[in-house]
Parts: sequence; structure tokens; C-alpha cells
Amino acid sequence: MIKLLKCMLLMVLAMTWNSIAFSQTNLRGKVVDAKGDPLPGISIKVKGTSGGTATAADGSFVLSVMPSSILEVSGVGYRAQEFPISGQTEINITLTASNAQLDEVVVTALGVKREKRNLTYSTQEVKGDELLKSKEPNVVNALAGKVAGMQITSSSGTPGASSRIVIRGNTSIFGENQALIVVDGVPINNDETGNLYSGPGTNRLSDIDPSTIESVNVLKGAAATALYGSSGARGVVMITTKNGALNRKPTLSFSQDLSFEKPLVPEVQTTYGQGDGGVFYNGENQKTSAVWGPRMDTLTIGGRPAPVYNQMDLFFRTGVTSNSTVSVNGGGANSSYFASYSYFDQKGTVPQTDYRRHSIFTKFTTKITDKITSTVAVTYSNSGSNRKPEGYVLESPVWTIYTAPVSWNPLPYSNDDGSQRVFRFSRNNPYWVLDHINNAATVNRFIPVITLNYNATNWLTITERLGADIYTEQSKYVEAPSDMLATRGQIIDRNYNFRQFNNDLMVNARKDFGRFNTNLLLGSNIYSSYNQTMQATGKGTSIEGFENISNASSITYYENNYLVRKVGFYAQANIEYNRFLNLSLTGRYDGSSVLAKNNSFYPYGSAALAFVFSEFLGANARNWVDMAKLRASVATVGNDGVGAYSLLTPYESANIGSIVFPYNGQSGFLLSSMLGYPNLKNERLNEVELGFEGRFFKNRLSLEASYFSKKTVDGIIPGVTTSAASGYTSTTLNSARLQNKGLEVLLNATPVRNSKFSWDVAVNYSRIRNKVLAINDQAAEPILQLGNGFTQVIKGQPYGVIYGGRFARTGDGKLLVDDGGLPLRTDTDSIVGNITPDWMGGIGNTFRYGAFSFSFFFDVKMGGDIQNNVDGYGYFYGTPKVTEDRGDRVVPGIRASDGKVNDVTVHGQDYWRRLNSILEAVIQDGTFVKLRNVTFSYDLPKRLIEKTFVKGATFSVAGRNLWIYSPHFTGADPEVSSFGASNGSQGIYSFSTPTSRSVNFSLKVSF
Amino acid sequence: MKNYFIILFAALTAISGCKKFIDVNNDPNRPINVQESLILPAVETVISHSLFAGINGIQVQHFVQAVALNQPVPNTGTYQVISSESNDDWAAVYSKTLNNLKMMIDKADADGSPAYSGIGKILFSYTIATATDFWGDIPLSESLKGAENFIPTYDSQESVYAFIQQYLDEGIAALDMDSEKQPGSDDFFYSGDLAKWKKLAYTLKARYYMHLVKAPGHTAAGQAALALSSLEKGMTSTDDALKFGYPGSAGNENPWYITFLPGSTLVLSEHLVETLKSRKDPRLPVIVAPAAATGLYTGRPIGTPGVGSLEDYSIPAALYGSADSYNYIVNYEEALFLKAEATFIVSGSLAATPVYLEAVKTNLAKLGLSLTSADVLAFLADRGTLTDDNAIRLIMEEKSTANFLNIENWADWRRTGYPAISKVPNALSDIPRRFLYPQSELISNPQPGQAAKMTDRLWWDAQ
Repeated sequence: MIKLLKCMLLMVLAMTWNSIAFSQTNLRGKVVDAKGDPLPGISIKVKGTSGGTATAADGSFVLSVMPSSILEVSGVGYRAQEFPISGQTEINITLTASNAQLDEVVVTALGVKREKRNLTYSTQEVKGDELLKSKEPNVVNALAGKVAGMQITSSSGTPGASSRIVIRGNTSIFGENQALIVVDGVPINNDETGNLYSGPGTNRLSDIDPSTIESVNVLKGAAATALYGSSGARGVVMITTKNGALNRKPTLSFSQDLSFEKPLVPEVQTTYGQGDGGVFYNGENQKTSAVWGPRMDTLTIGGRPAPVYNQMDLFFRTGVTSNSTVSVNGGGANSSYFASYSYFDQKGTVPQTDYRRHSIFTKFTTKITDKITSTVAVTYSNSGSNRKPEGYVLESPVWTIYTAPVSWNPLPYSNDDGSQRVFRFSRNNPYWVLDHINNAATVNRFIPVITLNYNATNWLTITERLGADIYTEQSKYVEAPSDMLATRGQIIDRNYNFRQFNNDLMVNARKDFGRFNTNLLLGSNIYSSYNQTMQATGKGTSIEGFENISNASSITYYENNYLVRKVGFYAQANIEYNRFLNLSLTGRYDGSSVLAKNNSFYPYGSAALAFVFSEFLGANARNWVDMAKLRASVATVGNDGVGAYSLLTPYESANIGSIVFPYNGQSGFLLSSMLGYPNLKNERLNEVELGFEGRFFKNRLSLEASYFSKKTVDGIIPGVTTSAASGYTSTTLNSARLQNKGLEVLLNATPVRNSKFSWDVAVNYSRIRNKVLAINDQAAEPILQLGNGFTQVIKGQPYGVIYGGRFARTGDGKLLVDDGGLPLRTDTDSIVGNITPDWMGGIGNTFRYGAFSFSFFFDVKMGGDIQNNVDGYGYFYGTPKVTEDRGDRVVPGIRASDGKVNDVTVHGQDYWRRLNSILEAVIQDGTFVKLRNVTFSYDLPKRLIEKTFVKGATFSVAGRNLWIYSPHFTGADPEVSSFGASNGSQGIYSFSTPTSRSVNFSLKVSF
Repeated sequence: MKNYFIILFAALTAISGCKKFIDVNNDPNRPINVQESLILPAVETVISHSLFAGINGIQVQHFVQAVALNQPVPNTGTYQVISSESNDDWAAVYSKTLNNLKMMIDKADADGSPAYSGIGKILFSYTIATATDFWGDIPLSESLKGAENFIPTYDSQESVYAFIQQYLDEGIAALDMDSEKQPGSDDFFYSGDLAKWKKLAYTLKARYYMHLVKAPGHTAAGQAALALSSLEKGMTSTDDALKFGYPGSAGNENPWYITFLPGSTLVLSEHLVETLKSRKDPRLPVIVAPAAATGLYTGRPIGTPGVGSLEDYSIPAALYGSADSYNYIVNYEEALFLKAEATFIVSGSLAATPVYLEAVKTNLAKLGLSLTSADVLAFLADRGTLTDDNAIRLIMEEKSTANFLNIENWADWRRTGYPAISKVPNALSDIPRRFLYPQSELISNPQPGQAAKMTDRLWWDAQ
């Protein structure tokens, strides 16, 4: 008996916790939010013990508790609360959302939601409403100026034209420098496509309708993006789309926008007419490109004062944009939905250019079982554009319009015999171009995303997310034969197929150990991207207006396809200690198909620490410090930065100048002039980030500052120049090193807030210092310089410097002139400009007074040079405003031949024409201050609509680009890079379609 | 623990499966190997299109004052040339032409097809000679080694010339051997006629011997004798010429036709047109087209500051400047003019006169003129007799007319001073005697001597 008792006692001792449990009761409960929607993943703890659980997908939980205890309930985004238990076995808990700013929830890498206070790195959120305010159809443009550390560069004013988005500076020499775009956790393609001739294409993020966006989160540093692997190394723009809500009646919203655009054109001189040396050419039987003719106010034709034709006003029209959206959202007990349709239609300021987009977005969330939730989101968009050639190609109408004389009537464009009417040779009449040259593109795109969430236990969630991005672009370029250029007509048909699949399988475990709150994520990623281009080029057309390629007398065709696959395994651990210390560790192991087989897998990771030191501040300080945090992170990210098939050196079907093989019935191949590099390995980006975040005065003021320093090492350069004498003009090497260091500051303040009136200010500032540390130092002779489109990459310089001829100068800086009295150009080229700005910033102000809201947004770019190509050519033609000053002059300078002070008088025409050949003369500081947006809106008062079925109505008027201050730039809009979003297109203002100033009227009604 | 093993096993399986999954980097768009008959037509096209009529090829026509830009000064006509303008031609020489010829020769040698390696060596010699005449010292012995040597040192022009003669001999020898594969329609130049290739090789040998008439260590007499002996096996009729045909259909146009389209504002020079007029050269209407606006033969004066009306100027006539014109790369007339020059050096003007006359007549006939017409007879009477004083001048003047738009005219001017030209108005320098080394080369392969100016003389261009 005693033995038995002893034995039982031992067992009891051995199973103390069990025996205690025996005396507890099971508590069942459900946690919901203020709207009654269930809240999954809410932590339920028993105060003073280690016992606890988390809610399931339906908000329910089961927990063993002592009959009398206190529950501590907390969850991301909700105010932590305590609930006493006194014997009951069931409890319903309603959590209220925490102060939006205090415990702001942000979406982080892979769509994981976290409290902002716990973050160990810098992110910045832009709300969907804020994006819509900008009235930009392209999400990239809508972000312009709003995010510290992000540089947006638009390309041209052509409807649908692309924009470039770079976060924290350029990190690759010829590879991708733009941010990764992620929609609802799935990367989508943002390539620039659709241009078969000169000028920018469309960056494919344009296919996303901004009105379907709930919020955009910008993850800037490598520590934030390491989980995205290679492609996240350049920063990530995470787009979260809108949702429905459980148990909500359907809400129907309509909105209609109408806006009018006026082109921002550079100033031209209208004082002088066509001619040479002051002598008038009538443009009919006397043709010349020169606009160095007589004064228009003294010019008479046939005894009457000559009419003045303002070429800009005649040519450009007011652009009209209409955007209509309709959306519905709501939900039942187990499912919710959001669906929207929008139609965007923009008629460009250049006649016969347009951009149209139909966009359908639907999202359904369904609870399949208690533990499994599925979300299916599908985006479909159909967009189409018509555009004209841009830039300084002979076919570009804008070129001819900007440089046409005011003395010439451009219409009609045909003579009686059908030939073109022109004022000069070697160009088409710009109006003829409108009717005879066109570049059309149609894109059909599907982006389905399926997410399955399985709450295996209360601490373990398994998420499976499959996303695809599939689009086809059909483009067609048609160019009629031109008698002026003696061209024979051309028709190009191109089909571009793109498909990308992305799969993430993630296991997320959350467990609390005393004061440690841990979260472990394990996952795998499979990525596959395929694209195919098929292009037929027909030359020599003979049937007017017939646009089928059968109209061509010779046709060439090619097809190319590329497949890239990647796999990745990743893990992330977040450990929070007592709500003031956060440690975050991530690791990822990637494999990429494009690298050498023995180098195809590579690991990387990050470590970050955040310390909420406000927890330790004294009571006095706590009165005005709501939260203060310091954070530090180190990260290294591997990247495969090169296209498929770069390892070998194959033969290519020969294209020799205009000749395309097969030629004369013969196939012909040449060895690729780019030498493959069989040992290609991943490049690496190392980043250190330090930051401070603080919120003060009951959240009336918040400040966030980050400093980062990152280096690209082993940078892949696809196309580093090699001596052609080696047999190859370029190769791909792992040899680049670039550095970006920067400071980002964000300041939000609410100087005034009361029941009627509020004033919010948001300021951002960023300053990035970029330097090319090495191009190829491994070579016996280090490579110091590479061409990169309109700029050059030079060792020791910022990425993207403009290189060319300078004014020849004496040792002490005086101009050297030739014997004719004109400035001399240096014999050799050198750096004449740097396109990287010194700093950028933005200030947004929002005032609310009752139903009225008024906001305006300024942004600033300080520095960053632009090659003003419009002036460059214009100096030759005599059209820019400055060439109005065309009197005789003595150029102050020293004569090169004898060292004497120049005393030779030259004509203004000769002076300006000389500047045309000196690049330095047209390098201008691109500093600007822009009043980018002004919005005035009025919400219909609730009392007016109380009794109707209308839930809300808002009317707003918005202006864009209302004011631009650019003290050193003589063009119209210094924000432009005329040839698109690619690395090599930056820093030049050429003859692209001008950007616009616009006024937008908008009405939004919901039922 | 068991679970961990299962996880480890699963992970390993996953990774090996992943290796397979990402093993997709095989290029479906471009072949890794092709046969000789696919390389030859492409290389021949490069030689005609990108080398003979490339950027430097056009600049040569500025330097010899055949063409003029309807642009204000400074421009190419006044010798405004920058180093990056040589990038494309340098790449066309080494990467597109020589490297591909090397591959073709290696393949041909490996599979017993010396016909292709013979042709390859002849074209290689022509191309490397064109390059050294442009730039002087150039990479050769250390070139075309890919990643093994990205910074090939330069060989002296003297050694390049020695190589040219030797390689032409090797090419000729190869053509005499039995060949597994025979070129045919893949050979755009000669349709696989190896006899013509040999005649070309001998003619080129003569050309490059004559290039060295004033080179240090060489004598005019010695070079002339070598040239004459080579020419015995050289071209014998205009059918032997190395020329490249263009069908002229849209997209398949002659590059000179494209170069003279209105967009370039390039026209013929006043110097060229007036020279032909002053000689009452009956070939004027065959070489020069009347100006579109005026119907007159008018060239534009090079170096004039103002801009004229484009359609007031002449461009090349149909024979040279239409979409379906040939590019005449090595003419039979050149062989005759070389023979005339060499004969003059060796045997004097009397012996050279009939050769010279045959050369001129051959060209007149090729250009479709009747040798018995009055203006042709008058022209021949006026320019048909060589004396010791005028022989080189007349030979070079007539050779230059027969070699219209040929880069060889610049080499001839540099070595003989004829046809005489003088510095154009508003010139930025003296008349160029070489090209600048390309910017791509300055960046990627710094070598001594790259600072050479365009007015510096090549090794063979001794004073």
C-alpha cells in the first residue's frame, strides 16, 4: 500500500505540470474585431504563466485556464487588452484596432504582416488614396517624389510612356537597376516593352489600375528584401490590393475622372523667320533648315506683313483623359469579395496618339474549412496605344515642330502632285508623319494569384501561394514610303509572349517563451520566366494605307525565346524580447539557371536588431515621446544579374548593317561578338543600415531617419568592353564594384488637429552618393570606362556621367577661340556632366476643414545634369529662345594661335552654330522645384444623403505640374529622360513628346 | 531525431531535383557550331558592307575630297574626326571578319577543306591590310585569342606587311590542294571559282608590294619588280574583279545608296565634279548624277561655312549609287594601273603607256562608253601619253577615277601624292594620313603609340 502510494507520489511529482493541468478547465473563445470579423493569429496568454495560444483562422481558440485568471490578448494591429476569467468556459472577445500610428501594421517581404514598431529596417508606405490623388495612370509616376530614397524618372509625355523607378541608387552597370514589383506577394514583370521605333515604350506596371491598390509598401534596404532573393536586391515595391470584408453588405462605388492636358514645350524664338544670315527663305522654292532669317515684324511677303505661325500651338492639341471605375465589395459569413472594372482613355497632346486600358480586378476570399482559407485574385487588363516616333530620328514630328520656322505655314502637307510639302530637305512634314507613321501596341495580361492558408495548429500556419503573370503584346509599326527621305516604307509586326510563374510554400511558426516572442518562417520558392519574341519586318511597301505585311516587297523574320528558372529556400527568425528588443535573422539559398553550373547555388542572409529605447525613458520624457527606436542591420544579398544563355559563345544569324540574313538565298552566321563567360557566378550586394524612428507628442510628430551604405561586389557586367582585337568586342564578367551611400529622412507632422480642422505635413528627403569603384580591375589593364547609352560609366565617378567635348580653355579658365573668333572645342572628350542629383525631397500638405480637403505637394530635385539635346540641335537651326540674341559679338576669350585677347567680331549665327558642336554648351543643371499636385476635394455632408441610398460622394479638382521652377534648365520639364526607362536612356532631354500640365475633375459616389 | 533525418533527406532530394529544374540554360536561339559555308557569305558581306563602305570608308572619301557634307563647318570634310568613330570599323575588322575567318580556316583545316581555308586566308590578308593602312601598327600575332588575351600588343606595320604576303602565298597554296568541301553559291564574290580567288590573291600581292615603294628598307624598283611578277598571275579581265552585288530590293540596298539618301546630307564634292568636267571626262554622267533641282552636275565645295540647298547638289549616278549597284572592291583596272605604275618604275614611261591606256580604256568600256566615240577619243588623246614627268600623276588620277569610292585611293594619295589635293578651307588640321585608334581600344587595350594623330605618317608612308 505504501509502495503504491510512493509510486503514485513519484508519478505525480514527475508529472507536476500534468497534474496541475488536470485541475484546469478548458476555455473556448472567439476573438473578433469591431466589425465582428474573426481575427486569426491573435495571441492569448494567461497572465503570470507560460501558458498561451493563438486564434485559428475563424478567430476561435481553446485554452486551459485556472478557473480564476487573467487573459492577455494581443495581436498585430490591435490594442493589447486583458480580460479576467472567473469560471466561465466560453468567452467572446472584441479587440479594437490599435492607434493606427502607434502600432501600425505593415506588409513586409512575402506578404507577412508585422507591426511597424517591431521592424528592424526601413520601409515606407503610401496609401492607395494618396496614389489616386496624383491622377497618374501609371503607379510608378504616382509614387514620384513621395518616397525617400526612391528616384522616379518619367520618360516622355506620350500616353502610356514608361517611367524608371530606382531605389537607393544604381547598383548594376548594365543589369537591372529598377525595383522589383510585387503584387500581393507575387513578383510581376515591369519591363519596358512595345516600342518598335525611336522613343520610350511602356513599363508594364502600367497594366495595374491604381484604384485597385490598397497600399504600396516600399522596402528599401537589403535587410528588408533579403527574403525576396536576388531580384529584391534593388529594393521592392510591394503592392497590396483591396479586399472585401466578411459580413458586409455590398458597397458599390463609381468614379469618373476627366482631365485636360496642356503640353509643356520648350521656349522657342518667334522673332526671326526662316533663312540664312538674315536673308529670308520662303520654305517653298527656297528650302533650308536654318531659322536665321529676317525679323518677322519687318518681313513682308507680297507687300503685306508676313503671317506668324506658332508651330507649337498649331501642332499640339489639348490632351483629354477620361478614367471611369466601378467597384463592388462586401462579403458573407465565410467569404468576402472585391471586384472592379475601370476604363482609362487618354488622347495625347500629339495628335493621333492615345493610350487605352480596360482593367478588371477581382478578389475572393473564402473559408474552405475552419482551418483553410483561400484567396483568389485575378487581374486582367487590356491596353492599347498609338504613338509616333520620338527623339532625334528623322521621322520624329516633334523634332521638326520644335525647329520649324514661324514664317512657314506647315499645312497642307502635300503638294498638288502628292509630294510632301516641306520647308527643308531631309525631314518629313510633321503633319505627314501623323497620317503615315504609327506605332501601335496591344497588351492582354492576366495576373492570377492563389493563396491557401492552413492553420495547422494555433501556432503553426502553412501558406501556399501560386502566382502567374502572363501577357502577350502585339505591336505594329507602319511607316509609309517618304519621298522626302527616299525611304521605301516599312511594316513591322511583333508578337511578344511573356509568362512567369512564382510559387511560395511557407511554414510560419509563432511561439512565446516567457518574455521572448518568436516567429520562425521557413519557405521555398520556385520561379520560372519565359519570353518569346517573334518579329517580321517588311520593307518596301507600295499600296497606300494597306497595313498588312503582305504589302512589303521583302520580309525578314526572327524568333527568339528565353527561359530563366530559379529556386530558393529561405528562413527567417524574429525574436522579440519584452517588447523593446527585436532581433531578425534571415537566410536564403538560391539556385539560378543562368549561372555556371558549379556556381548556380549561392547562400546569403541578413541580421538586424531594433531597440525601442523609449521603454527606458523617464516619465517626463514619456510624456512627449510616444516611441523611439534605434535599429541596425547588415545584409548580403546574392543576385544572378544576367540574362539567360550568357555562358557560351554561339553563332548568330548575321545582321550586317541593313542586311539581314538569309541574304540572296544564303544563310549566314557570325560568331557572337560577345564572348561567353563560362564561370559566371552570382554578384553580391552588401549593405549596412542604421536608423532611428520616433513618434512624439501623441503622434503629432514622427521622424524616421536611415543611413545606408551598400556595395555591389563581383558585379556582373553583361557587355564589358574588350579589345575587339581579342576577337570579341565584349564579354560578361564578375568584376564590377559600385557603392551607394545615403541618408533618408521622413517627417510627418500634424501641426493642427481638432474636430473641424486639421493640417498634416509630410516631408521626405534623400541624399544618395553613388560611385563606381571598379569596372574591371582584374584585367591586366584595368578598364576605366564603359559607354552606357547617352552616358558613360567611369571608374571613380558616379554612375552615369555625360562625356564629350568641352570648351577649350586656358590654364586659368578663359575660353580659347580660333582665329575666326569662335570658341574652340577640346581635342579630347572628358566628363561634362553628372546625371545623379545631389539630393531629392518632397513636401506634402493636407488641410481638412469639415467636408473640404485641400492638399498640395512640392518636390525638389537638386542637381543632376541634363544634356539638353533640344538646345543642342536648336543652336544650329536658330530656334531656341536664347538664339533670339543673335547680334554680332566678340566672344570674350584668348586666341589660341597667338595668346592675344580675342577681338574678332562674329555673327550670332556662327557663334550659336559653333556651340552646337561643343557638348558642354548644352549640359544644364537639372535642379527643379515642382508643384506636382494640388487637390481640392469636397465630401457631400452625411446629413444630405442620410435618407438616400447614397453612402458617400466626393467631388475633387486636381492640378498636376502646375508650376515648375528650373533655374538652369532651358527646356520645359527637367524631369524627363526622353528615350525611356533603361539604364542607357537617362540624362537626355531630346525631342520626345512633351510632358503636360493638367487639370483633373473627379467625382466619386458610393452606394 | 528520426524526423530530422527525414527532413534532411527531403531537403537533399529537393536540392538535387532543383538542380535539374534549373538546368535550362541551353540557348535555343543560336547554334554553337556552324559549317564554313555559313560563315563565308556573312564575312564577305561584312567586308563589302561594313569595311569597304563603313564609317571609315566614308571618311576616306572625305579625305580624298570625293564627297562633301551639306553642313556647316567643322565637319568630317574639314577633318573633324573623333576616335569613337573608328569603333565600328575596328570591331568589323577583328570581331566580325578576322575572328570569323580564323574560325572558318580552323574548321576547314580540320575537315580537309583547304578551298575554304585558302579563301579565308586571302580575305584575312585583305582585311588586315585594310586595317594596317587605316591605323598603322595593329594587333596581329597576339590577336584573336579571346579570354586568353584581352590586351593584345600591337605588331609593327612592317611585320604586318610581311605577314600579308606570306599569308596570301599560303592562301594560294591552299587553293591548289584537293578540298573536301567546295564553295559555291555561298561565295558571293566568286561563286566558288577558285581560279579567280587566286588571281585576286596575286593582284593583292601586287597591291601590297606597291604600297611599300617608299617604305624604309624597301626600294621602289624592288617593289615594282615583285609586283610585276605577281601580276603575271593576277586578274586578266573585268570578270575577275572582286565586287559585291546588291539585289536592291527594300532592305537589300547598296550601302553607298543608303549613305547618299537625303537624311545624311552627303553629296559629291565640287572638287570631284569639277575635276571630271575640266578633263572633259566622258565618264562624268556615269559617275555623277545631275542635281535633282537643277539638272546640272554640281558638287558642293568642301569646307564652306554655309549650308546650300540639298537638291542643288549631285550624288553618285546609277552605276555606283543605286540600290542595286555593285561595290567594286578590287577592280581589274587596279591590276592594270599597278602594272602601269610598276612598269614605269622599272622600264620608264614609254613602256608604261600602253599598259596605262589599257587600264583607262578598260574602265571606259566597263562604264559603258564606246571607245570609238569622239569624246572618248578626244579624252584619250588628251590624257593618253605618259612622260617621265607626268606618268605617276596621270596613272594615279585615272586610277582614282576608275577606283571611284574605293578606299584604295587614300593609300595611293599617301604613297604618291596623287591625285593632288590641298587642304580644304577651314580645315582643322592638315590632310589626314591615318585614322585615330578607336576609343573602344583606348579604353580596353591601352598600348604605346595610340596617341598618334591623323596627320602622323604610317611606317610605309615615309617622306
